[in-house]
Amino acid sequence: MAYSFPEEVLEYVFSFINSDKDRNAVSLVCKSWYEIERWCRRRIFIGNCYAVSPGIMIRRFPEIRSVEIKGKPHFADFNLVPEGWGGYVYPWVIAMSRAYPWLEEIRLKRMVVSDECLELISKSFKNFKVLVMSSCEGFSTDGLASVAANCRNLKELDLRESEVEDLSGHWLSHFPDTCTSLVSLNIACLGSEVSFSALERLVSRCPNLRMLQLNRAVPLEKLPNLLRGAPQLAELGTGAYSAELRPELLSSLLDAFTGCKKLKGLSGFWDVVPAYLPAIYPVCHGLTSLNLSYATIQSPDISKLISQCQNLQRLWVLDYIEDGGLDILATTCKNLEELRVFPSDPYGVEQNVSLTEQGLVSVSEGCPKLQSVLYFCRRMSNASLVTIAQNRPNLIRFRLCIIEARATDYLTLEPLDAGFGAIVENCRELRRLSLSGLLTDRVFEYIGKHAKKLEMLSIAFAGDGDLGLHHVLSGCESLRKLEIRDSPFGDKALLANAAKLETMRSLWMSSCSVSYGACKLLGQRLPRLNVEVIDERGTPESRPESCHIEKLYIYRTVAGRRFDTPDFIWTVDEEGNAPLRIA
Amino acid sequence: MASESKMIMLRSSNNEVFEVEEALAFESQTIKHMIEHDCADTVIPLPKVSSNILAKVIEYCKKHVTSPKDDNNELESFDAEFVNIDKNVLFGLMSAANYLNIKSFLDLTSQALADIIEEKC
Repeated sequence: MAYSFPEEVLEYVFSFINSDKDRNAVSLVCKSWYEIERWCRRRIFIGNCYAVSPGIMIRRFPEIRSVEIKGKPHFADFNLVPEGWGGYVYPWVIAMSRAYPWLEEIRLKRMVVSDECLELISKSFKNFKVLVMSSCEGFSTDGLASVAANCRNLKELDLRESEVEDLSGHWLSHFPDTCTSLVSLNIACLGSEVSFSALERLVSRCPNLRMLQLNRAVPLEKLPNLLRGAPQLAELGTGAYSAELRPELLSSLLDAFTGCKKLKGLSGFWDVVPAYLPAIYPVCHGLTSLNLSYATIQSPDISKLISQCQNLQRLWVLDYIEDGGLDILATTCKNLEELRVFPSDPYGVEQNVSLTEQGLVSVSEGCPKLQSVLYFCRRMSNASLVTIAQNRPNLIRFRLCIIEARATDYLTLEPLDAGFGAIVENCRELRRLSLSGLLTDRVFEYIGKHAKKLEMLSIAFAGDGDLGLHHVLSGCESLRKLEIRDSPFGDKALLANAAKLETMRSLWMSSCSVSYGACKLLGQRLPRLNVEVIDERGTPESRPESCHIEKLYIYRTVAGRRFDTPDFIWTVDEEGNAPLRIA
Repeated sequence: MASESKMIMLRSSNNEVFEVEEALAFESQTIKHMIEHDCADTVIPLPKVSSNILAKVIEYCKKHVTSPKDDNNELESFDAEFVNIDKNVLFGLMSAANYLNIKSFLDLTSQALADIIEEKC
């Protein structure tokens, strides 16, 4: 017996289905489900702001409440994307200000946001609640002042690693006295002092404040009072963790931390004076997340801390932890899921700390739930990688950054192909991989053969020629993002796998061996790709077609070419031309 | 002295009559509204609900009305088992839950259907 449901029933059922993937699948079942689903979709994620236009989004989904948009390619984090590339959020905000009066949440990553944008956001959406800007730039504390002043129901303001023009700390005082709705405030990236009394009052009048991340300018002396005003905090980012040694400050801090019974995450810790670390011992046992990536403390102090954090799930730390500290981590933190070890002296020639591949091997042995790794070190061996792979077949993200480019296996002096091969062969659920060290086309053969769930791959100074790239493009079925620098990959592999590019979000290649001629061919054959040539030497038309281009960014899109490119970016059009942009 | 519970008569689409206690029938906002606003006779017709579906709805309401409020585990396993059924019956229950306006029942059946959809995705 066939039941025809009233639409509202189906809509109600769909409200229990929240993952984008499932929602997208639901919308493809039939026309009526497509219609019902599009009217009740509330949340949208746009991985590449140029893949779709605001108009298309609004036309299809008229009732969105929450938007997440990403702009620049990931390699922007390594300064490979020139200034002025794009990623402007303004057209999105303008369009949404008209179409989505009930918008509540905007989350942005690597986008350019202006003060005008922030003001527009603060005034256009009456029920605006969440603003997260991760690695964004282009705005100042004036823009923040608008948000503070005008968003009556603001719950989250999170500036995660954004570059903010810090005009003054007074913006914080723009939160009205009536604002009590804050749940999350992250100002860690700001340089200048904020008004402490405004901050203290704000913190103590927001009973639901769960996450507070201060900036370096907040002195340690101010911390006890702040904590006393917010004992319900679940995540705290301290400011500078240093002061002259004063017993009463230590005991005041100890008291304040003891009062924070719900604290699960700690970060901040700039300029640490180790004598003040015992103040956080009372909360260590309950911590699930610890970010010491700014803490320049030595291994014994780190180890002492970690040995008390039995419930740690996530640790970000500088290589000061050394192999010894990682051994302690492996013994103590059996619930560890994510480890990131950052270099304290990445440009130094000599190794300054005793951190080697052994530390990572220890952790892979001791932590059965480890799934996500980012590890900077100065040497690696195939044997260690094989051990790690066999210890932890449940790895999902593995990013290894051996500091010296093209470093060999330090024991055998061979390339690290076999080691990374073992990783992809054993870790069947691997979704993200970053390679480093000396690598030949062999490693790409292994990756193409085994890494079937791999979604994102980062390659630098690797491979012998086109065959390597061909293995990856033809073998990695789930590949969405591929970024390559300084590797001898060229035209043949790209052209042979052109169709693959339409199944991916984006491809970035810089300092490789791709010719302008190949770019033109790609642009011609695949009209639904934007093929953007980035070259600061002037138009590629002025050089022979066989000339290699500097950088290439290819992404699929339904929005056509973009018109906000700077003068060093040429978009190849359907005729295979990259016309001079008319300013 | 125990008070007599008022009995309500419900007639399914295929003319079968079910007699239920008022407290149970009032789980349905639709029925509750009809009775409170005097829109129904002695027997309430439910032309959109067949008797095998109506029987199951009554079974659900009976369990939820008579169970002690704090026995969540038992209710949870009852609910889970209750929707572990043939898809067509599930659709019928959803339709009835919507028509009879029984929120908890609609939530339960909708979530069950959502789970099936997610599994297939």
